[in-house]
Amino acid sequence: MIPVEYYVGLSAILFLIGGIGFLVRRNVLVALMSIEVMLNATNLALVAFNRQHAQVHTGQVLSFFVIAVAAAEAAVGLAIVLSFFRLKRTVRSDEADLLRN
Amino acid sequence: MDSLLSVFPSKDFSLLGIILAAPLLGAFVNGVWGRRLGRDAVRLMAITAIAVSFGAALLTFLALDREVTHAGHGHVKLAWTAWDWLYTTGKSETQIPIALRFSVDALSGVMMLVITGVGLLIHIYASTYMWDDKSYWRFFCYLNLFVFSMLVLVLGDNMPLLFVGWEGVGLCSYLLIGFWYGKMANAAAGKKAFIANRIGDFGLICAMFLFVHYTGALDWNGIEAGSGSLVTVNEATQVHVWPIGGGQFTGFLKFLQPDSPITITAATAVGLALLLGATGKSAQIPLYVWLPDAMAGPTPVSALIHAATMVTAGIYLICRLNFVFVLAPGVMATVAVIGAATAFLAATIALVQNDIKKVLAYSTVSQLGFMFLGVGMGAFTAGFFHVFTHAFFKACLFLGAGSVIHGMHARIHDDDKAQDMRKMGGLRKYMPLTFWTFLISTAAIVGFPLTSGFFSKDEILFKTMTTELVHPDAERLGKKVTFVQSLWGARDPSHFYVPPAWLGTALYWVGIAAATMTAFYMSRVVILTFFGEFRGWKLGRPSQIDAHEAAAHDDAHGDDAHGDDDGEHHHEEDLTKPGYAPHESPRPMTIPLILLAVFAAFAGILNPGLLKHFGLPLPLEHWLEPLFEESVKVGVHAKEGAEHMELMCTAGAFGAFAVGVGLAYWVYVVQKGAPAKQWAEAAPKLYKLLLDKWRVDEAYEASVLSGVDALADTATSVDKGVVDGILARLTALLVAAFGTILRALQTGVVHVYAGMMVVGLAGLGWFFVMPHPDGHVVEKGSGDYSIVAAPGVGYGYIWAEDGAKKPEKEVFSGTAAFPLHVEPGNTKKVELKVRNAFGIVGTKTFEVTAPAKAAPAEVIEMGQNGHGS
Repeated sequence: MIPVEYYVGLSAILFLIGGIGFLVRRNVLVALMSIEVMLNATNLALVAFNRQHAQVHTGQVLSFFVIAVAAAEAAVGLAIVLSFFRLKRTVRSDEADLLRN
Repeated sequence: MDSLLSVFPSKDFSLLGIILAAPLLGAFVNGVWGRRLGRDAVRLMAITAIAVSFGAALLTFLALDREVTHAGHGHVKLAWTAWDWLYTTGKSETQIPIALRFSVDALSGVMMLVITGVGLLIHIYASTYMWDDKSYWRFFCYLNLFVFSMLVLVLGDNMPLLFVGWEGVGLCSYLLIGFWYGKMANAAAGKKAFIANRIGDFGLICAMFLFVHYTGALDWNGIEAGSGSLVTVNEATQVHVWPIGGGQFTGFLKFLQPDSPITITAATAVGLALLLGATGKSAQIPLYVWLPDAMAGPTPVSALIHAATMVTAGIYLICRLNFVFVLAPGVMATVAVIGAATAFLAATIALVQNDIKKVLAYSTVSQLGFMFLGVGMGAFTAGFFHVFTHAFFKACLFLGAGSVIHGMHARIHDDDKAQDMRKMGGLRKYMPLTFWTFLISTAAIVGFPLTSGFFSKDEILFKTMTTELVHPDAERLGKKVTFVQSLWGARDPSHFYVPPAWLGTALYWVGIAAATMTAFYMSRVVILTFFGEFRGWKLGRPSQIDAHEAAAHDDAHGDDAHGDDDGEHHHEEDLTKPGYAPHESPRPMTIPLILLAVFAAFAGILNPGLLKHFGLPLPLEHWLEPLFEESVKVGVHAKEGAEHMELMCTAGAFGAFAVGVGLAYWVYVVQKGAPAKQWAEAAPKLYKLLLDKWRVDEAYEASVLSGVDALADTATSVDKGVVDGILARLTALLVAAFGTILRALQTGVVHVYAGMMVVGLAGLGWFFVMPHPDGHVVEKGSGDYSIVAAPGVGYGYIWAEDGAKKPEKEVFSGTAAFPLHVEPGNTKKVELKVRNAFGIVGTKTFEVTAPAKAAPAEVIEMGQNGHGS
């Protein structure tokens, strides 16, 4: 059996990739994808830890919730991106400064 | 009548509810729906309401009379408790109930009849007089509300309820004075009346506080029962005038502290406070200035509120609380002096006024002064009798003046000019009914023998001459002092002041002088208005009047919307063109005049004091006797030979009448007004002073009002400078500055926000990863302490007392609390090591110092120990 540390390590690497991607990339679609990567990193950690406890399924159930929320978030996020594109003819996030100051 | 009493037993006489509810209903209906109901319905509602009230009042009066006969004595009260209103806490935690309780006795019974009876007549009159006013419904709403408030004032069985009515009539008075509020002067007059009355109300409220404190009651019976405690010889239970409220001046203000505090008895304090209230409502010096201005209201209002009913509330109050007033002869004398002074002053002003309503207004002030003079000298029945007769003849005079103004308005549309007596004259021919009723009422007010005013005024003057005030508790109290001594002499709370015996004689002569002037100026009014040639406009035969004029005349017929703000039809006519003569008013206006004139002529029969030697009964005096009997017995002393002075006093009063009327006849009829002009030219300054009403208004303006204005200006500058300038602006500036700084952080770039989030999360993570060695020292007494460490997830502790041996291996197994004993005056150091779940260790050192103990405590402890061993 693969030890849990490997899963957690992978999860951490994925989370870092997602976080850095979100912070660095200017394309809103890429930022959304980065968020998805982060969410799935947490899902991986949840499922991995859940395997330590044979009788309990809390972690798995929680990961389902996260998937559902991620789906909803993606839908809303894409809708926002669409209307943002209609408004500004671009999907660069640093162009979205209507709420500045 | 028995069946009436079986339906309404005297303890639960709910018929009073109908008397009160009918006008209230009328006010409500006219106020809410009046605009849509139309004039006819409004008139029907208003008059029916008062008529029902008057009918119920008549029944009540008959029932009261029946009860009095039945009981064999006059201390009968028909009472009705609507509901328990509220409670107040008196001295030593006693609960004082304030019930919504109404009662009718001899005094309030007569008042109730006057209010509803005269009120009904004036409603009928006003229903025609006001017909063309566009706010017809509003007028009757206010007028009904006034009758309701006045009935509450009179029928209320306790002081707070009287106060409710007192404020209610004040409000209605304000609303009706400013009824034509489109004109600035009318609105200002309303405000003036309201504010002058508020000053008086302050006195009334103070009196209520004192009643609660001293008598422990607010209802009439309770106050009477507890009135004994209003007079004490103990300084501590008296009212401290200086220093106010019994305080002490210390420091640099010590020179203000008298050797012994200046105190007055509670009876004096209450009396003065009530007197302040009465002077406000009843237009006496120093608060009389509002009443003449109040004539800005419609004439029926002047008749009902500012002559017949509301302004007599002050006299009613004094009569109602007569048992309190007699306890303070000084206050009684003050009442009488104020009354006489007002009667005199107002009469002098009335001598030269040209506005017919102004003359009547000052005449009202003057007559109210007579009433005050009467009640102040202990002649409560006489004073109240004058209230009664005055209600008839003064209401009739005002309504007659209204009728005259109504006639003048046919062609003179300006208010002031229509009321100017110099424009009238000869109206006797054109308005015979108005003339005769006005003449009869004038006869009453000037004291023409056997009219009502003759009997009531004569009674007041006679009583003034022949009584002296005494102190009811003179035997119990100590030394009698003079007025000067009572202020500056060696003060002793048991000293009391009694007015001198010559006071009555002096006031009698002031009263005679005022009565003479009354006779003169009232005769002047009648002569200028009704005799001689008409001076208003050129009269012509109908054939000489062209069609246009006739049409205008028809248009103006009965038009009495004076003071209206629309001003469209206020084009001044050319008065040199011939026009119709003024015409008599319609029947709904003349019938009340006739009825009131009949009463003005014959109401004297109710109390013909002069004729009692001829065996005539004195029904009113007999009727009111039980109320005043006790007070008169203890507080008033008839001078020797009073019986023989009666004719002499009457001769004086008759002389006043004869001189006044004769002089007026000589000046204005025989000499055609020439002497009046000569006198005015001979003493132009005095004439101007009288015409300007002694410039009292100007004096108030310069003293009180300018002071208030200055205060208001100061407050405004503080408000603008400090509150607006510093407080408000500074706060706004701070908020704006913070906003500017924080706005810079609001870049609008998502990545910056995300970066801040990362930094914040890192900070939180650092906080959770690092251990937090912390704790506080709990003192347990006698040198024992306990150090309690702050808890945390997975924390382990090691405690190391300074100087103690350190363990070989560090094991984080200690508990969160560490007990410690420190000797007094010593200090100990304790080191705490905390290891958290991540295995990181933190360290903190505590220093505990025990305070040095007082030595004797230890000695006792040692002694006890020694004894035990």
